[in-house]
Amino acid sequence: MAGGAVGALSHCGGNATSNNRGQITFGSYADPALDILKEVFLPEFERDTGIRTEWVEADFSGWFQKALNDGQTRAGAFDIYVMDDLWVPRFAGASYLANIDELGFQADQDFVPAALDLGFWPPKTGLRQPGIDPKARSVLYALPLISDLQLLFYRNDIYSQGSPKTWGEILQVARERSDPARRQYGWVTRGVKGNPIVNSYFVLLHAFGGEMFGESWKVVFNSLQAVEALEFYLSLLAYEPPGVAEFDSDQEGATLLQGNAFAATMWTGWCGQTDDPARSRVVNKINFDVPPKQVKQVAKLGLFMAGIAASAPNKAGAQEFLKWFSSPSVQLRFARNGGIPFKLSAFQDEEARKKSRWLDAILKCLACGVPSPRTSDWSKVEDILGTELNRALLERGKAKQHLDAAAAEATAFLKGAGYPSG
Amino acid sequence: MDSSLELKRPPEAPLLRRHRWARLLPVALVAPTALFALAITVLPLGYSVVTSLQEFRLGQPPAFVGLQNYQNLLHDVNFKNSLGTTLVFTITATAAEFVLGLMLAMLLKDEFPFQGIIRSSLIVPMAIAPVVVGIIWRLLYNADVGLFSFAVQTVTGKSISVLSSATLALPALIVVDIWEWTPFMFLLLLAGIQSLPQEPFEAARMDGAGPWNIFVHLTLPMLRPVIVVALMIRALDAFTVFDQVFVLTQGGPGTATEVATLMIYKTAFRFSQFGYGASMAITLLILVMVFSAAVTRAFRGTV
Repeated sequence: MAGGAVGALSHCGGNATSNNRGQITFGSYADPALDILKEVFLPEFERDTGIRTEWVEADFSGWFQKALNDGQTRAGAFDIYVMDDLWVPRFAGASYLANIDELGFQADQDFVPAALDLGFWPPKTGLRQPGIDPKARSVLYALPLISDLQLLFYRNDIYSQGSPKTWGEILQVARERSDPARRQYGWVTRGVKGNPIVNSYFVLLHAFGGEMFGESWKVVFNSLQAVEALEFYLSLLAYEPPGVAEFDSDQEGATLLQGNAFAATMWTGWCGQTDDPARSRVVNKINFDVPPKQVKQVAKLGLFMAGIAASAPNKAGAQEFLKWFSSPSVQLRFARNGGIPFKLSAFQDEEARKKSRWLDAILKCLACGVPSPRTSDWSKVEDILGTELNRALLERGKAKQHLDAAAAEATAFLKGAGYPSG
Repeated sequence: MDSSLELKRPPEAPLLRRHRWARLLPVALVAPTALFALAITVLPLGYSVVTSLQEFRLGQPPAFVGLQNYQNLLHDVNFKNSLGTTLVFTITATAAEFVLGLMLAMLLKDEFPFQGIIRSSLIVPMAIAPVVVGIIWRLLYNADVGLFSFAVQTVTGKSISVLSSATLALPALIVVDIWEWTPFMFLLLLAGIQSLPQEPFEAARMDGAGPWNIFVHLTLPMLRPVIVVALMIRALDAFTVFDQVFVLTQGGPGTATEVATLMIYKTAFRFSQFGYGASMAITLLILVMVFSAAVTRAFRGTV
């Protein structure tokens, strides 16, 4: 009887035993890009390892809030946090994540470098947030889960000579071929305030040679290049559907998939839908590439990451999942099933490339990808900038005035938060 | 003191002991519930107050900063604007819902064919989850394919972007709130009207009073307690509106629809400024309490 009680207790705690390897609980936001993982690969992981899995999900904001609460209170409700790469600084910096290095995980050379780098804290390169020792060793706290990023989606019947090489070409085609009366628009964007519009602008800002922050965290998103990028962004408005200032990615994607727009920079989650006749009126008419160049050619990274909760009841099981999922054979099958992998060998597989014709473009984007600034305060700065970008979009002008206003507010905020040149 | 002088307490009579126990029994029975209620209301509130006096920096334990967060709040233009937006939203939405709810209640108070179906269909909006309401209206307001834009385009030849207009976005949100919560007003007021005694109305009619006079001089005064409660409940709820704003506008365009709850949510959970967010929440709570107290005072004796 005592033995039975012990067995029952270990079962409740989710700890591994010799017969039953326990359970790991994932916490995640809901996203179609995770469907293959949930429906195909988690059952396979259970069969392979004997570790049961539970998937708990909420909408993006809801899950972020739950994960923060779990991290703060050390409640131990989750073993693995599925995170936007933007969350890594905050979760790792606040010690909500377990050090994967210390758990004995060895990252091999097959990881796409840009994808793996996002799991380190403090960041391996670039600026370091105040309060973080500039000499502190970068530690691996999270692994990539889905290589999500923004790539260029363009209509191959409109751009019959291949992908647009410059932003000027996008504008020129939009000018020549847009026909609002027939609901044909040269471009479509996410214009709603906050994260969506900042992500839309982010690619242009970098393409025009601008940056978010300069040395010592000086705000430079009101530089000459930044103003030029915003003015260009506003010039596209004349060839976009009405009301893009309220568009989030669902409306942007729907516009493209309904055949009403010629091009857009969108997240990889939309790739699979373009060739699905149930969802798309432009099956096989959409091609993919790195966003065009002006001064530089960049893509915006926004990877899904997986980190082990510091308070995870079953760290060993969680680590086993990360090891299993990042193994070359599983990554290969993940890619062949339509998933977006993070291992180079999976990107290079012929069968996977045939099944997911966007993989080449995604790998190219990863090579020139830029993530959001690695600071836990980015969300606040993003909100400030996003509000002013949205205002500029509504007023269809005053680029410099709005960027200056955002820079002044962001500078004051950063100063208050202890940044050197805030 | 001489111990011989000490008065000896007489032994308590069994009846007296039973009487004392009888007095303590209700307290003992209520105590667990009261303690539980205190635990789930006062403790979190106390924790929020403590949090509002702290600053959270990445990787460091919370630091006590006294009233610094509240001082910063005094100079925070965005927070003041959000309070103003919340106030406009609350007053306009509650007033419109009251007027419409009262009109519907007066219209449907008497027996009529299919009254069950009609009354039930009227309360459908209230039964839909606020997030779903937000999504429905986002489609209706869509500039390209939405019903509103289509109607405006049919008349004027131009499409209209309701949610991306700094002047129209807030009224658009108010319309959504009116659509969703007028049924609540209607239900409360209908119940109030139907519970009024009929004799004064019959007497007034016999004295030759017209419908308008009956409504102004009898119905409204007699309904006053119900009206106050209905207005209070709706206003308090409107003060904390969040879901529709979150789904429809995210506080935009610009900051045109940034209500206080959205700002508190973003500050605490998106920006991880838990202390500052808590100070905003406590400030809003105080304002709501002041508002409730003012309304209660104004209508003292009628409720």
